[in-house]
Amino acid sequence: MSLIELHNVSKVFRLRRGPGTLLAKGGVASWFRRRAVERVTALHDISFMVESGESLGIIGSNGSGKSTLLKILAGVTIPTSGHVVVRGRVASLLELGAGFHPLLTGRENIFLNARILGLRRDRVEQVFEQFVEFSGISEFIDHPVYTYSSGMYVRLGFAVAVYADPDVFLVDEVLSVGDEEFQRKCRVRIGELREQGKTIVFVSHDLGIVNSLCDRVILLSKGAVMARRTPQETIDFYLRQIGREKGIHTIGAGALEGIFTHGRLSLFHDQRETSAVPGFQMQIMSMGQSHESAAGDWEVIERGPARCVARGRLPRLPVTHHWDIRVENGRVVWNFAIECEQDLPLQLIQANLFLPAIYKFWIYGELSGTFPDILPGDLNWTILVSPDYVCRETSALPVEDSPLRPLVFTVKSERAYMGFRWANSEYITGARVLLAGARIPDTELPIRRGRHELMTLEIEPASPERVRAQVQSRMEARTLRCGPWSLQLERGYARLFHQDLEISAATHLYTSVEVGNLWNDSHSYNWGPVVRAGDRIEVSGESRRFPFRQHWQLEIQGQAVAFQVWLEALETVEVQEYHTSVGLRAEYDRWETDLESGDFSPFKPDDETWRHFNRNYAPGKYIKALSSSLPSVSLRSTLDATAFRMTATNAGCSQGARVLQAVHIPEGGLLSIRQGRRLIFSGLIEVGTL
Amino acid sequence: MSVVVYTEAQQRRLSRVIPDLIQSRDLLIYLVWRDLRARYRNAMMGFFWAVLQPVLMAAILTLVFTVAFPDRVGATRTGPPYAVLLLCGLIPWQFLSGSLISATHSLVDNQNLVKKVYFPREIIPIATVSNSLINLFIGFVLIEVVHLGFGGMPGWGLLGLPLIFAILFVLVIGVSLLCASLNVHFRDVVYFLEVALALGFYATPIIYPLDWVLPRLLEHPWLYRVYMLNPMAGLVPAYQQALLSNHFPAPHLWIWPAVCASAALLLGAWVFRRNAPLMADYL
Repeated sequence: MSLIELHNVSKVFRLRRGPGTLLAKGGVASWFRRRAVERVTALHDISFMVESGESLGIIGSNGSGKSTLLKILAGVTIPTSGHVVVRGRVASLLELGAGFHPLLTGRENIFLNARILGLRRDRVEQVFEQFVEFSGISEFIDHPVYTYSSGMYVRLGFAVAVYADPDVFLVDEVLSVGDEEFQRKCRVRIGELREQGKTIVFVSHDLGIVNSLCDRVILLSKGAVMARRTPQETIDFYLRQIGREKGIHTIGAGALEGIFTHGRLSLFHDQRETSAVPGFQMQIMSMGQSHESAAGDWEVIERGPARCVARGRLPRLPVTHHWDIRVENGRVVWNFAIECEQDLPLQLIQANLFLPAIYKFWIYGELSGTFPDILPGDLNWTILVSPDYVCRETSALPVEDSPLRPLVFTVKSERAYMGFRWANSEYITGARVLLAGARIPDTELPIRRGRHELMTLEIEPASPERVRAQVQSRMEARTLRCGPWSLQLERGYARLFHQDLEISAATHLYTSVEVGNLWNDSHSYNWGPVVRAGDRIEVSGESRRFPFRQHWQLEIQGQAVAFQVWLEALETVEVQEYHTSVGLRAEYDRWETDLESGDFSPFKPDDETWRHFNRNYAPGKYIKALSSSLPSVSLRSTLDATAFRMTATNAGCSQGARVLQAVHIPEGGLLSIRQGRRLIFSGLIEVGTL
Repeated sequence: MSVVVYTEAQQRRLSRVIPDLIQSRDLLIYLVWRDLRARYRNAMMGFFWAVLQPVLMAAILTLVFTVAFPDRVGATRTGPPYAVLLLCGLIPWQFLSGSLISATHSLVDNQNLVKKVYFPREIIPIATVSNSLINLFIGFVLIEVVHLGFGGMPGWGLLGLPLIFAILFVLVIGVSLLCASLNVHFRDVVYFLEVALALGFYATPIIYPLDWVLPRLLEHPWLYRVYMLNPMAGLVPAYQQALLSNHFPAPHLWIWPAVCASAALLLGAWVFRRNAPLMADYL
């Protein structure tokens, strides 16, 4: 059912707004003289409906008629022609604090305002506590409102409007008031209302919010409605329109187009925006404060068809950005430089490239993975991919059926530490963020006065086939297939799959060495490239903490994979203990060794210590994990010269993995490995049948 | 679920005024309560001012007139003392002038409400006028106290009091609606109103009893007719009769004001309704 219907609504204002004097234009005098009054059409023949449970976003530039439309929906004013049908009670957040009387207390005003919004007294009493709690001003609730700060005033107003529980919500630009914390609360609350299936009409300049909160977006432009198929397309259209109107600067060649707007760049490919609404921008952190490029005062210096040179001075930091953006050979080449007016401690310089959440996969050097979904509870950014080595190339791939192209990013810089990281933004922005740049090492601080070339970023919309093929071949090179199961080598660990189901978890297959009471996991080594030769994979990596390297060799042997680990000491290393382990999914609930067998116990909440279940610590040959739903996995030692304790362990509860370990504890306490190579583990990993 | 259709014709229909008001009676009561609560919150003596104000006003006028025209004042030979008569005129007049002026302002004063929320716009001037009613009642008690203090007795005339109050209230509401809606477009209305009220104050038997001027007026029948066109010219003596005499107020005094009041109400409500839907655009 539609809660709001607009039928051919037009609104015409006489130009004389507000009371003038008697003789003013449009006043009594001109009425007597029968002079035509100038008229302005704010809305022109608008028809649309708002269905129950829908959230509709209305966007448009200043003066496009948004506020007038909202007023008509709220019934504050009526259309000049056409008619509006409103079913149910409408509350608009544009009346925040409207009708608050400064001399009355917060409590009295809540009752009053709720009454104005059409709430019955008994209902107000029911939700009164919620009002107060949400507004967070319980201690001042019996003080007159004139003693409130403006923030408290708005908070109280918002609380009343939000808890008034109307059938239709009209939300104006109110989300821009109050402090960060309160804004977040408001957004979360509006998100909740939306989840509850309330009907929301949302008017905002903040395209990010509109995009994330609205099922449908319409664009008001000079009093007329325009809408594209999806919210994203409508927003894109709007952005392009603004870009043209404000003449900010649009560059393009072929299918690739970039719009530079005051310190941010939006990227389009085939008329589709491949950047998310916040676009690509730059961020500098200095003395704990963040400075966004979009806050700067920008000036376009060179306006070429495919080149844009712009300069932007930051408002609170004596730094000027110099951007040189070109579109050439089907890619965007973006050069960043900064000019400091004095020596500055700039701790972080990075470009934040926001991509729509439809980008689902990332490739980072040799690594690849899937972006987790962004959930309503995500209030902060989550850094997803940030290995401790610098990678100069990364890609993002959209989901299979998306019209968007995969993007390949390359950074070139004379500074060795400039690289990429990937993050998920918080829920409202709902974007993938590529952080290109770096935390500046202390040794380079302060950044000296003068101009500094930072980096050149290349962004290329690649053909999906090419990137997928690249991923595929890269994955293939690192995968060993043994009938139904396979092993896939990642950096410092290997994942096990049975058919397409991943059966390893958390730590996966890895090694760890204890030196000087510190465990050094293979995940953290600096790994070199993977060498594939037929059924064999070899790779070596260097510990970042201790003077040794590990060489791994994985080879198919029938239905098993033989795993050999050499430790190459660069100088003498005193090893206290080491193990080779495989982390498995929590569905594995039983284990057996050649000596005994037992059950994995359930994980205890909040217990992060690893617990092992063995009672017999004599050396053994194999350990096996069993599950009723998954194929058994076993780890077998074939190195007869070295004794291993086959240990069944529960990892900490947050990792939630069962771990099979082959632990070697040297006799006499220390294993001294002199310079040179030594085979420290040799074994078989087998995955049985179901 | 309530269904509201916003179109010009729907909103501007006079017949919708009463149902709209009934539907929003809660809000009306709340607005009156709010203004009352707020008005005296920061005043040290609170509601006491509602009593003190007319008393002081009457005291000043009594003083001035007894000093300036001792013979005329002394000439109130029979009936209640001059001070009582003065109060009887002052209190309804102050109600009229005070509530008219504040009601005329009211839409502008409450524009943040009007521009943001939908509700029947009539509520605002009506709430403002209702708010002043409290002064009228306090004034009534005050007069009775003074009247008894000077040795008078409450008479049967009091039975006519509700009628007089009703006529006065309806009259004020009608004119308020008219002025308030005009004031949205032309803020000059308030100034006209102030001048008109100043004239009205002297054209109404307040500081002089009606019978002082009656002989002079009757010399020119047309002048008398013009004088009595002012509804307050009949209403104030009727009020005095109701309070102080032992008989029901004379019909020739209040019938014309009653007609005026009804006409003002109809006209005011109609003009207001015509303007109401677009008020938010002009505030």
